[in-house]
Amino acid sequence: MGDDSSVSALVARVCDGDQEAWSELIERYIPLVWSICQRYQLSRQDADDVSQSVWLLLVEHIASLREAAALPGWLSTTTRHEVFRVLRVARRHEHDDLPPDGQISGDADEATIENELIVAERNAALRAAFAELQPNCHDLLSLLMNDPPLAYSDVSAMLDIPVGSIGPKRARCLERLRQSPHLAGIISQPAEDAGIKETRR
Amino acid sequence: MSAVPEVYDDEDLMAALRQALAGRQAVPPEFVEAAKNAFAWHNIDAELAELTYDSNRDAEAEPSTRAETASIRALTFTSAHLTLELEVTHDSLLGQIVPAQAGTIKVQLRDGAETTVPADRIGRFTIRPIPSGAFRLHCRTSADADALTGWITL
Repeated sequence: MGDDSSVSALVARVCDGDQEAWSELIERYIPLVWSICQRYQLSRQDADDVSQSVWLLLVEHIASLREAAALPGWLSTTTRHEVFRVLRVARRHEHDDLPPDGQISGDADEATIENELIVAERNAALRAAFAELQPNCHDLLSLLMNDPPLAYSDVSAMLDIPVGSIGPKRARCLERLRQSPHLAGIISQPAEDAGIKETRR
Repeated sequence: MSAVPEVYDDEDLMAALRQALAGRQAVPPEFVEAAKNAFAWHNIDAELAELTYDSNRDAEAEPSTRAETASIRALTFTSAHLTLELEVTHDSLLGQIVPAQAGTIKVQLRDGAETTVPADRIGRFTIRPIPSGAFRLHCRTSADADALTGWITL
């Protein structure tokens, strides 16, 4: 999975007791944990419980993770285990019809889980790359992603730049984003040959 | 997993970025905050004591010979140098450090809260009331041995 080196570096810093690296790691991967909790429609309280367990387990085991690059997979598996633990406790007074831990993989097919991981990795890398963009690019792209979309004339007024420069600036900023080391191996340049694009999904 | 990078034109990249940022914005701030606070537990310098016996789990394999009828559940945690035996009664946890010795027991809750109870000369301690959520015990003996149990939910 791409971006190995920056994950490894983060993990190494966390092992050295770097609180800031831990926070960065949370920023990166908490959307994965949250989205898994959402997928199983956990209550907020149960999601809190799951999340606490997952991060406590990680704090305890991070030094023994053999490969830092395996972290997203570890988080995904551990989160699902914790989700099932919470669901079993919640249903103890009803029917005990949930599968034991070992059978969790049957609930969501592996392709779904793997895809979820790929998306989580890509999203984390995109956010990391975006956070490091120069402020003018950060501001411009933020405005251009506004929902509902802003007219170029509004963007022009807000950033005090000519309307005609927005398109080219946008292209340059996206190019800078694309060149970010965070995205190395995760996304690539658009190919001239449109046929290649068809293989994307 | 495919190692082939995906191909993104500008529109794809904008869409992917929007999705990535939305995924992060959907996470409630307190959810993030609690996760960051978990770092308080890092690198606790104690030997981990593993759960080696749980009457709920092991009772059938190893019928209890205890006469203590008030005990609802018995747990044993073992590290290289210390063993902690716990009995759950209706309103408290009765503990025993093995080998018997004085010490202190810290009861740690997952939000970082902590209470301390003493273990007497022969290693007995009482935790009352029973913590309602997950907790773990950090035992330090007068001989300076220490052990940390895994998380316990009763």
